[in-house]
Amino acid sequence: MAITPADPAAVPVESPVTAPEIIPVLPALPTEHPSEAPLLAPTQYVPGKALYKQILPGIIQAPLDLLLGASRKSSLWPMTFGLACCAIEMIATYMAHYDLDRFGIVPWPSPRQSDVMIVAGTVTKKMAPSVKLLYEQMPGPKWVISMGACATNGGPYTRYDRVLQGVDKVVPVDVYVPGCPPRPEALIDSFIALQELIMEERKVQGK
Amino acid sequence: MVEVLSQTSDRSAEFETQDLLLNVGPQHPSTHGVFRMVMTVDGEVVRDVIPYIGYLHRGAEKLCETMDFRQGIGFMDRTEYLAAFNAELSYVMAVEALADLEVPERAQWIRMILSELNRLSSHFMFLGAFGVDTGVFGTPFIYAWREREALIDLFEEVSGDRMMYAYFRPGGVAWDVPINFVDRVKEVLKSSAQGIDDFDSLLSENEIFLARTQGVGAISAERAIALGMSGPSLRASGVDMDIRRDEPYLKYDELEWDVITGDHGDVFDRYYCRVLEMRESIKIISQCLDRLAPGPILPEKMPRMLRTPPGEVYLRTEAPRGEYGVYMVSRGGNRPYRCKVRSSCLSNLQALHELTVGEYVADAIIILGSIDIVLSEVDR
Amino acid sequence: MTTEPAEEQFTNQIGDHTEIWSIVDNALLGIGVTRETGFMDVIISVETDEIVEASRALRDDEDANFDYLRSLTAVDNMADGMEVVYHLYSISKKHNVTVKVFLSNESLRLPTVTSIWPAANWLEREVAEMFGIKFSGHPDPRNLLMPEEIDDTFPLRKDHPLAEIEVLQGEGMGYSGEEL
Repeated sequence: MAITPADPAAVPVESPVTAPEIIPVLPALPTEHPSEAPLLAPTQYVPGKALYKQILPGIIQAPLDLLLGASRKSSLWPMTFGLACCAIEMIATYMAHYDLDRFGIVPWPSPRQSDVMIVAGTVTKKMAPSVKLLYEQMPGPKWVISMGACATNGGPYTRYDRVLQGVDKVVPVDVYVPGCPPRPEALIDSFIALQELIMEERKVQGK
Repeated sequence: MVEVLSQTSDRSAEFETQDLLLNVGPQHPSTHGVFRMVMTVDGEVVRDVIPYIGYLHRGAEKLCETMDFRQGIGFMDRTEYLAAFNAELSYVMAVEALADLEVPERAQWIRMILSELNRLSSHFMFLGAFGVDTGVFGTPFIYAWREREALIDLFEEVSGDRMMYAYFRPGGVAWDVPINFVDRVKEVLKSSAQGIDDFDSLLSENEIFLARTQGVGAISAERAIALGMSGPSLRASGVDMDIRRDEPYLKYDELEWDVITGDHGDVFDRYYCRVLEMRESIKIISQCLDRLAPGPILPEKMPRMLRTPPGEVYLRTEAPRGEYGVYMVSRGGNRPYRCKVRSSCLSNLQALHELTVGEYVADAIIILGSIDIVLSEVDR
Repeated sequence: MTTEPAEEQFTNQIGDHTEIWSIVDNALLGIGVTRETGFMDVIISVETDEIVEASRALRDDEDANFDYLRSLTAVDNMADGMEVVYHLYSISKKHNVTVKVFLSNESLRLPTVTSIWPAANWLEREVAEMFGIKFSGHPDPRNLLMPEEIDDTFPLRKDHPLAEIEVLQGEGMGYSGEEL
């Protein structure tokens, strides 16, 4: 439906509710109708001011890579790939006590619809081909979080020859989380680091 | 990954059916870890199941031979990560048997309390995962983790870690428990008792749950004994075996509690034995709390580097999943010459073939869940 | 042939073993064994070709009734050969015995006991792939924990080395793989 700006000559309607006492610490709220606010031309974007207060209501302008990066980082769906003990701490991070759902992170069993692969646990040489296959089944853009000491470099089991000394020998890793097992707070920290990474390397085309 | 074999089944005359080869795992939302089974399925009925394990074989036994008796405790933690206190207990008691160490009484009561609390937390995890397997997606898991977080907070106050405690040492425990330990344990017991009641009311009388689990995956007592099963999976078939009562260790012979056995050996009995076992654990812990008295927690003359004379011992304890044994051979020195872990889950998993053949595909997942395996113990 | 129980006792032995000696003696009449007393259980050793007969006698005898195979493992004694260790338990009578079979490095073969205790199926598969001991008559002699195609490395043997830590970063990191 078309949005028509209101007639600037119309008399503003008095609000029956009295405004609350304004505490000086907070910034002053706009008291005039937004359609009477001075309109910015669509190509003028003033950084630092909330866009919705300045231009037509319902339209937000932002650089495309900012929007793509923000939407990708806010809805990371990890593939449930718990291998060993770190899987228990990963599940603990999903559960109600240390909630990951508030970041938009929903565990998803299928690789075809997930964004992140959290390799939680020791990767053995028998399991390594499956890890590689699952990574290749994920559509881009995709990231890998290597959780725990075993996925980083083999961990306490590194001297055994059936253990792969780090999952970065088969898949490219973006974030390494130390710990045996890492605390749920460390895993949340790794997701925040991954979000910063996604915003840093955001592009419109390509990964 | 589906292959169609050219073998036809001889059941019906009108339709010519073929068997499907279905691969479950190693990455699958319900296989409780990296476990793979290849099922030959005729319609919905499983004709054959071949389990493949070894995706988490990390060589704990070989690495224990290179570590001294205190460093090896960390490997036992990681072998059975849901019941780490019980795993440490077997190892540490084996070292004490070889080195002839006398454990002070306070340390024994502390060990009992923590082992039984760990049994509670491990069974809570089972209830959560089993509820998800049967289709009650979400609610049991969240309940389970609510209870587990309370227990894990207590373990963190005592030992410093949420999951890999390394708190039991040969001779006793590493350091004394915090001052408010008894009050904290009573708090946790109250919330755990409420949690068990929550689960009981959610699942045990649920019509759909009963229809899914009763009569499914039954095994007789003779077959269960012959296959080497242990723990609640064996007791659900009616076999009255519990190492805490039959070959008592620590101070279990001074307490009063019941051993829970089932009647039919089906999936519901294996589930319900664990629920009732949790209530018995609460009884045990309350009795231990009354008997906990101040005292030393390590023997007076503890050597800095523990050396054992030559000998061998097979020490078994009742872990939440069954009989967790450590067969330790020592040739003198400060490391074991051979440290074999008798894994309860490996022996329980051998019965999977017998339990699953003839059942539906959906029941195969429930049967696997009811055996309650932890893959790092199966593969070590 | 059977001999008198060993008089020398370990100082920290748990429990009195005279009763279990007599039960085991009665069960194994005719089968040659040598014995010793361990820390918790009595240990008997049997010859390679008599293990199946001894196992059946131990399981079927009414007083012994060892119907539960607790554990089956092996120990590599380097130059002295290997030993396969069976831990048995009787659920009805609640007693234990440990049975050992000593093998020399030249002939690492012995018959399977899967026909007596089906629990031995996977346990023997694991011993076979970890130590290289062959169990003749085993219904399913595939690798259990190792990948199927590997049949020449036996990780739990004493001469199998530990892996070296692979350091992938360049020189000048301050440590080399051998120091770790």
